[in-house]
Amino acid sequence: MKKIFVIDIARCSGCYNCQLACKDEHCGNDWRPYAAPQPPTGMFWCRVKEFSHGSIPKLRLHYEPLLCGHCDKPVCLGACPQGAIDKRDDGLVIINPDTCVGCDICQQACPHGAISFNAMTSTAQKCTGCAHLLDHGAKLPRCVEACPTGAMRFGDISEFDEKELEKATRRGNVYYLNIPGRFIAGTVYDPIEEEVVIGAKCTLRGAQGGAVQTDDFGDFWFENLPEDARYTLDISAEGFRPLHFDGLSTEKDINLGDLPMEKA
Amino acid sequence: MQNKFTPDKQNIVSFSLMGPESGGPCLVDSTDERITRIRPYFYDTEYTDKHCNPWTMEARGKTFSAPDHVTITPFGLGYKSRVYSPNRVRYPLKRVDWDPNGERHPENRGKSKYVRISWDEAAEIVAKELLRQKEKYGPEAVLCEADMHGEGKNVAPSHGCPNRLLSLMGGYTLQMRNMDSWEGWFWGAKYVWGCEPVGEMAPQTNLYPDIAKHSDMLLFWGCDPETTPRGFGMNLPSRLCYWFTELGIKSVYISPDLNYGAAVHADKWIPILPNTDVALQLAIAYIWITEDLYEKEYIEKHAYGFDKFVDYVLGREDGVPKTPQWASEKCGVKVWTIKALARKWAKSTASILHGNGGPYIRGPYSSEPARLEVMLLGMRAVGKPGVHQAKMLEWNLWNRDYPVPYQGQFVPKITAIADPLRPVAGDVDPIINMDRFVLTEAQKQRAPELVELFKQLPAPKQFIPRCHIHKAILEGHAEWRGLQCFSSSQQPDANNYRHPTQQYQFEEMQYPREGLSRVHMIWTDAPCQVTCWNDGHLMQKAFQDPSIECIVAQHPWLENDCYFADIIFPVVTKHEMHDLGNDLSSGGFTSIYLEEPCCPPVGESLSDFDVCAKVAEKLGPEYLRAYTGNLSEQERVRFFYKATGCEDYMTWEEFKKQKIFVVPCKTKEEVENLPAGLYEFYADPENNPLSTPTGKLEYYATQIAEFTPDDPERMPVPHWIERSESHDERLSSPRAEKYPLLCMSNHGRWRMHAQCDDIIWTREIETMKVRGKDGYLYEPVWLNPKEAEKRGIRHGDIVKVFNERGIVLCGAYVTERLVEQTCYVDHGSRLDPIIPGYLDRGGAINCITPTATTSKNATGMAVSGFLVEVEKVTDAEWESWKRDYPEAFARKLDPDAGVCLAGWLLTEDEMEAQA
Repeated sequence: MKKIFVIDIARCSGCYNCQLACKDEHCGNDWRPYAAPQPPTGMFWCRVKEFSHGSIPKLRLHYEPLLCGHCDKPVCLGACPQGAIDKRDDGLVIINPDTCVGCDICQQACPHGAISFNAMTSTAQKCTGCAHLLDHGAKLPRCVEACPTGAMRFGDISEFDEKELEKATRRGNVYYLNIPGRFIAGTVYDPIEEEVVIGAKCTLRGAQGGAVQTDDFGDFWFENLPEDARYTLDISAEGFRPLHFDGLSTEKDINLGDLPMEKA
Repeated sequence: MQNKFTPDKQNIVSFSLMGPESGGPCLVDSTDERITRIRPYFYDTEYTDKHCNPWTMEARGKTFSAPDHVTITPFGLGYKSRVYSPNRVRYPLKRVDWDPNGERHPENRGKSKYVRISWDEAAEIVAKELLRQKEKYGPEAVLCEADMHGEGKNVAPSHGCPNRLLSLMGGYTLQMRNMDSWEGWFWGAKYVWGCEPVGEMAPQTNLYPDIAKHSDMLLFWGCDPETTPRGFGMNLPSRLCYWFTELGIKSVYISPDLNYGAAVHADKWIPILPNTDVALQLAIAYIWITEDLYEKEYIEKHAYGFDKFVDYVLGREDGVPKTPQWASEKCGVKVWTIKALARKWAKSTASILHGNGGPYIRGPYSSEPARLEVMLLGMRAVGKPGVHQAKMLEWNLWNRDYPVPYQGQFVPKITAIADPLRPVAGDVDPIINMDRFVLTEAQKQRAPELVELFKQLPAPKQFIPRCHIHKAILEGHAEWRGLQCFSSSQQPDANNYRHPTQQYQFEEMQYPREGLSRVHMIWTDAPCQVTCWNDGHLMQKAFQDPSIECIVAQHPWLENDCYFADIIFPVVTKHEMHDLGNDLSSGGFTSIYLEEPCCPPVGESLSDFDVCAKVAEKLGPEYLRAYTGNLSEQERVRFFYKATGCEDYMTWEEFKKQKIFVVPCKTKEEVENLPAGLYEFYADPENNPLSTPTGKLEYYATQIAEFTPDDPERMPVPHWIERSESHDERLSSPRAEKYPLLCMSNHGRWRMHAQCDDIIWTREIETMKVRGKDGYLYEPVWLNPKEAEKRGIRHGDIVKVFNERGIVLCGAYVTERLVEQTCYVDHGSRLDPIIPGYLDRGGAINCITPTATTSKNATGMAVSGFLVEVEKVTDAEWESWKRDYPEAFARKLDPDAGVCLAGWLLTEDEMEAQA
């Protein structure tokens, strides 16, 4: 038995319910021996991070809820000199609030930045997977229960589709689906007629490149490209001089903007 | 021993903030008399699918089902922090330098602090003052500011209890809510398609199943489905948007900002300058007309006055053809994008989606974009399958039926005990607008115990539209057209259609009425005027006007208008009282549920109903009896349930045990064949006319032509208006040399209007507040990086947003998500007055919105699309404010919640100094 979180980024609307439900459950509530109260503000056991891609008007956001990975081999557990960290049979990793002495070694050891230090009580704290609720009849941690779109799921690994999980990006036992890659996009237009160019052939050369045609808005999009790859782009349309772009780097998402095509 | 992981009790309480309706139910756990958690309610806990008969929609091989639980919003999840907010009014308060028997110091409202007084003293003072006012000036001297939205309470509603008591005392001056969420539709769109009462498309029947089957493009025009619906109910719109994408329907967002819906759902974002949609709309019409791309046959049969519209679009009327080039200069959308959008739309089956319209229909001249939208839909044969205007909230409101097929077998109606928005005596047929406030014959029979409580009280004789209150007080008079009662008509006929009453919108009205007094006292249970209505700074000056001798506020939290009150009554939240909740519109299931206290009242707070009962008691036992109908809160809950008719399905005993009754959905057969939207008008306009005078889509408004033909701000054919007598808020204005940014203001992402600004866990979110270098959490003002750079502003800087109407301090939020020449601040942030009427630190952007109404004959408010400048606050300026207004800066702040009760209470030192 191993509990995992599966988060589909393509269905995450950025509502922050998961972050807020975690606060509602743990701030001011004492769930020892699972967890001592989270401070009223400033600490995040589940934190939604916003990522921005591109520029006006080819601009998109995505959000990633970040929480403890409840790792198979928790680095924190190995690092803790007090033996205060426990990996349960169901896979959840718990810092015992009464044994922890606040040496802060686990926080530095965690590869996911999932552990916080409570200066008031001098203890390390993090997501418990709401083990106190699961052990008393609840099916889901609060964050998952509060997710309005079904983007966040929780359960035994056996309940999930293996093929789906294979494609995921993992942070411990938190599986992220559909984290968007980089994009290269733009709009093609005829500056004399002040018309978009529809059906222009756009050919991208480089890793996972390909060919698309501009749509009814004169737009082209190449999506889910790898980071830090280099590309060339050729745009051609009948009656227009072709456009050529060299050395496009997906260090960032690229909005090439409105590209004028001169009549041939 | 009780397991500490099992709560002492679990209650069901709503979290909607759209009162009077309660909205979606939540499960609230408490232990040791304190709320531990708030969770979504799961329908399948007590009900099988067999009972609920969940609704489904099928299209293109995919199915969308009713969610099995309430898709809770951040407001529900954060509400514990609001119940225990340091901002709660914990006991009755009196402004320290207001002496009802001596000096009243109206000029110090918004500055002077408060002292705690007893309930007995507070009620006595208010009762005496009411009697004094009545004797000296007549009952109309008391203005009752009560309004919709607030916690969704029923047996002791958030709004209207003072109206009830004042009616018993012989009358009052009513504050009439202007059509704040529907301004453009109400004052404009109605003249094109009727669609009473608010001018949004009606009926909304079965729109979403129809869109799912037939549309291939959705235009989210000034619409943020990830923001506006959240305060009203649930996240169902979010789920719908994902489903539309799965179905392959393209989502196009048109707005100045990459709003939260666009950020995750848009296939195409078309940025546009605020309040310039008219230019884009006219250019689209120009393309369609000149390229012969519209539904000509439909227009011939369904439209009136189309030729006059064509004359204006082509420039035959004014010599200016409304070409894409002409439009691009005004709206900032590229010429080629305008053309592409027009042609793409012409070859698509497209619907337009809205929250309610937000800033798109809440700016100067908002009648114009609203009318033009309907006209463009007309040119696409509105009513045709897949061609609609659909709403993403308030799904039970106004409409004959629901846009999602979730009609309960019956509506468990709870009649409102108080009447904050009743029509004024003699203005309109008294039956209009009153069905919410009177018992039906069936209800009377079921619950005769309530008859006394619902005895018809005399209607007030005088009113002031909410958007005119400040001017009416300061100038002593006001004149306007229309708005005799909220929405003109809410009187349904047998088919639940609303009667057309457009002519009411033209009647000339005035305040004060002959023989009636001006206002000298204000009693408010909706103290959000300064942050939610037009020109909040002017409102603050009105509150300080010497003609206002007493201001009473009742509210759970010390915020906004409360700082201007002389007496403040503490009110409980929903979580501290008995109530009967109802969910009619959140989009899952219709339900009715028993709400019980989750914790004792905070401090000495009472329900709104009981606050007024305290005053009634001081007026005399006959008042108390008449006011309460001799019923306690729990008795009202019991008898209200009886009145709903639900006892035929679930006995009171069983209801007390289950705590919720979910109304089973109608069968698929009953629902799915109802014609979608305006389909019948589309198919046969002769026999299914619209409620306009011609029965057709009026491209030339016959009523405007009849009643106000020479109004240059709202002509019979909608126009682009550069500037006029009422407004001068365009980038082309000379004013723009000093104030070069168009300020846009949305419904709040993290607030429901003025509600929930103090949830400490949302205040930590980067888009909710920006922490300034002084540690204060400022309301964000969005700025494009280029505009910020021009001004030397960096993300996080304390900046001032200002124009002639004053200054609002904000925290700079520099983002690519907003176009240049623009800034954006959500409305509803809590006021923190440094110089009342001039300088606000709290980010209440409505303080500097235009004073004038929508246009001179449209009595709405213009609260978005106005000129401002944004500058970094210099150290010298900051120091001068701190030097000149030390008391305002010295007010105690809660590090997490911000402005709080402790900041406005006289400290012990101050009390000693006074002694």
